[in-house]
Amino acid sequence: MSSRKKVLLKVIILGDSGVGKTSLMNQFVNKKFSNQYKATIGADFLTKEVIVDDRIVTMQIWDTAGQERFQSLGVAFYRGADCCVLVFDVTAPNTFKSLESWRDEFLIQASPRDPDHFPFVILGNKVDLDNRAVSAKRAQQWCQSKNDIPYFETSAKEAVNVELAFQTIARNALAQETEAELYNEFPDQIKLNANDNNRNRDGDNCAC
Amino acid sequence: MSCSSTEDLPDQYKELFTQDGVLLKACIGRPISDLNSIGMLCVVQNSDGTKCIEWRPNDLITIDSDTQDQEWAVVNTIGRRQRTLSGNMTSDYAAARARIVRIPLAELKTFKVTRNNQQMQFSTKSGVWQNTFYFQHGNAEIFVAYLKNHVKTAKTRHDRNTYVVVESNIDSQALNKSFTELDIFTENTTDVVWSLVSNFKQRPYETTMEAFSKLTDIVWSVLVYYGNEGLNGKRDVSEEVADLLTKSMSALEDTTSITKSDEYEVITVKPTLPPRPCIPRGTPLSTEKWEGLQDTEGRILEVEGVKQLIFRGGVAHSIRPAVWKYLLDYYPWRSTHSEIRKIQKRKTEEYFSMKLQWRSITERQESRFSEYRERKSLVEKDVNRTDRSHPFFAGDNNPNVLLLQDILMTYVMYNFDLGYVQGMSDVLAPLLLLLGNEVDSFWCFAGFMEKIASNFDMDQAGMKQQLLNLQQLLTFAVPDLAKHLASKDSGNMYFCFRWLLVWFKREFSFSDIMRLWEVLWTGLPCANFHLLICVAILDAEKDVLISKDYGFNEILKHVNDLSMCLDIDKILSTAEGIYHQLMSAPHLTDQIRIILGIPTAANNPNDRNEESESEDLGDEEPGRENARNQANGYTRI
Repeated sequence: MSSRKKVLLKVIILGDSGVGKTSLMNQFVNKKFSNQYKATIGADFLTKEVIVDDRIVTMQIWDTAGQERFQSLGVAFYRGADCCVLVFDVTAPNTFKSLESWRDEFLIQASPRDPDHFPFVILGNKVDLDNRAVSAKRAQQWCQSKNDIPYFETSAKEAVNVELAFQTIARNALAQETEAELYNEFPDQIKLNANDNNRNRDGDNCAC
Repeated sequence: MSCSSTEDLPDQYKELFTQDGVLLKACIGRPISDLNSIGMLCVVQNSDGTKCIEWRPNDLITIDSDTQDQEWAVVNTIGRRQRTLSGNMTSDYAAARARIVRIPLAELKTFKVTRNNQQMQFSTKSGVWQNTFYFQHGNAEIFVAYLKNHVKTAKTRHDRNTYVVVESNIDSQALNKSFTELDIFTENTTDVVWSLVSNFKQRPYETTMEAFSKLTDIVWSVLVYYGNEGLNGKRDVSEEVADLLTKSMSALEDTTSITKSDEYEVITVKPTLPPRPCIPRGTPLSTEKWEGLQDTEGRILEVEGVKQLIFRGGVAHSIRPAVWKYLLDYYPWRSTHSEIRKIQKRKTEEYFSMKLQWRSITERQESRFSEYRERKSLVEKDVNRTDRSHPFFAGDNNPNVLLLQDILMTYVMYNFDLGYVQGMSDVLAPLLLLLGNEVDSFWCFAGFMEKIASNFDMDQAGMKQQLLNLQQLLTFAVPDLAKHLASKDSGNMYFCFRWLLVWFKREFSFSDIMRLWEVLWTGLPCANFHLLICVAILDAEKDVLISKDYGFNEILKHVNDLSMCLDIDKILSTAEGIYHQLMSAPHLTDQIRIILGIPTAANNPNDRNEESESEDLGDEEPGRENARNQANGYTRI
């Protein structure tokens, strides 16, 4: 972990159309929100330097189009991903139901070395809205059932938990990277650490 | 002596094209003594804009300058006219003058090329060949190629050597006059010069000297013409042509390698593209011109002419609402005012009945109709983030945003199989902004969607095909960039996805995208011209992409960041230049021909450098004419 080489973490944000992928990315990188973001066509990315455990890492965050039919092209951008962020809209149950297929699709297309331990993070976005339709409990249960994926409830609009979520994303991605470097020397330990962190934070941020 | 009183020719006319070494073989109404004399065949433009084919005996030229070789005839004729004007006329000169043969282009009905490109016959009356000319150098095809810039021709089915003039004297209207000028520029300059250069390259031994002299001749005639005229003062064309020639020659040196053996040398030519002509954009179709194009009942008859004009310069903003309805197949071009009123009525009813279909779905129905619900939700999400920074769509509860939604929802009922796909709201927004009217916008949108429906395929097959075709075009047109992209995992061209999906909507301002779209809607000058737009943009970025050694990520970022930084006129002009480069490339492949919708070599063995008559030929003719005919849906007789 003391390696001083420059680290680039590639993070892919996936989720149904309109759940707030572009907004989350912009809130994290540029610290601003606009309701005038256009629907993403094709793909784009932003980069941001963050400090994780005293290491400076560059996060390269990829945003793709959410409509299902565009995914067959989006896969070109999955290659080499260090972490995948799955986003749903807490006011739209369909977007929550889609998480499963987004996750499966990503694992098939990106074919990471160790799919069972590939770091995902789930974001339930738009918690600033009143018409919530997916409870935090339901989301957490699903995340636990999927090998304890860290879950955050966010609002890109009001910058709720965005920074924290991306910190976790960076840490988990870095852990994955280190794991790969170390040839899984201590895989369990690292994973447990990551999960512990997230459980604690989940507790803090749970909206229920 | 005033020249106007003694000459039967108009005072001022200019030679547009000249070909020497042409014998007058037969001419109805001329004494035998006039025949079998050598001279030059020209296309000249009179002061009133009309054009003639003119044959002039060499005596006329040598009177002025006996000492000069006929290969330099064009230069001489300039000298002659100046001397004529200064009053230096002799009786011999007058006699020679009388032997000039003139065929007004307006009267030309058919012409024919026979004897291995050595003979041309012209007719102004069906059934009779009034004039026969013999081309000493066997190069009548050059004259034909030039002539086709001035008259619209079709080949007859039974005789591939005979051309029928389907639209005589396309100079008679102001509209077409401007085309002709452009055609001279776009086709004559590069095409003729290039065909000579490429001939030269392909048959170096037989044609070296001959080709060189011909080339000089033609370049001179071009120089002289543009030297006199200029082209709207926009650029110095003579310089351009000289530059072109220099480039061709140096390209020739660069790309030929010579293998010597005892008896002969083998010269191999590495294929490179001809130089790219720089084609200036025209002015937008004006209100006056547009009104002038309609007959008393409102029909537009000169459809191809209108499309050409729009391709050249776009449409003036004030008449866009009218013209777009035709371009987007809402109104048929040849419909009268009263027919249009009927169409409007019918289409309005049709629109509102489709709108009523989804408007009458109750909430309870909706709750059991998940597919409909999903589409509706997607439309709502997207209209609320479509061009909201533009004043027309800005602000809360903007009625125009609702209109976007209504039109897109109605489109879902119009084409339920396709439904709503992201990108459609982007395509619709400029239409609604311009037309303002819900029904008109819907039908124009439906017409636009007809053209780009495959972009929205569920399996994205249409997009994948276009990305592949783009890669193929780029490999042919800008090979070094294509190679760089391939080496950076970007050969799939995914970074152009956004450009293609919504036809560059995200890359340009509203006013620029309107210009680009109306040009693309004409379908000119070939199929898939939008891919050449991509090639043009990438070509301009080539140096940056290669010199900075950009990889996959940087390429995508760079391309995405070009949005709103692109010059539409420059891009259109470059894309057209690339089109002409491809068309005159001797090594154009079938793959590229198919992409651009022009006949393949298999259908078209009469390649531009092939002069043999013995081949079994289809009705096709080479290169550009084909592309144009096909693109225009112009039927050959």
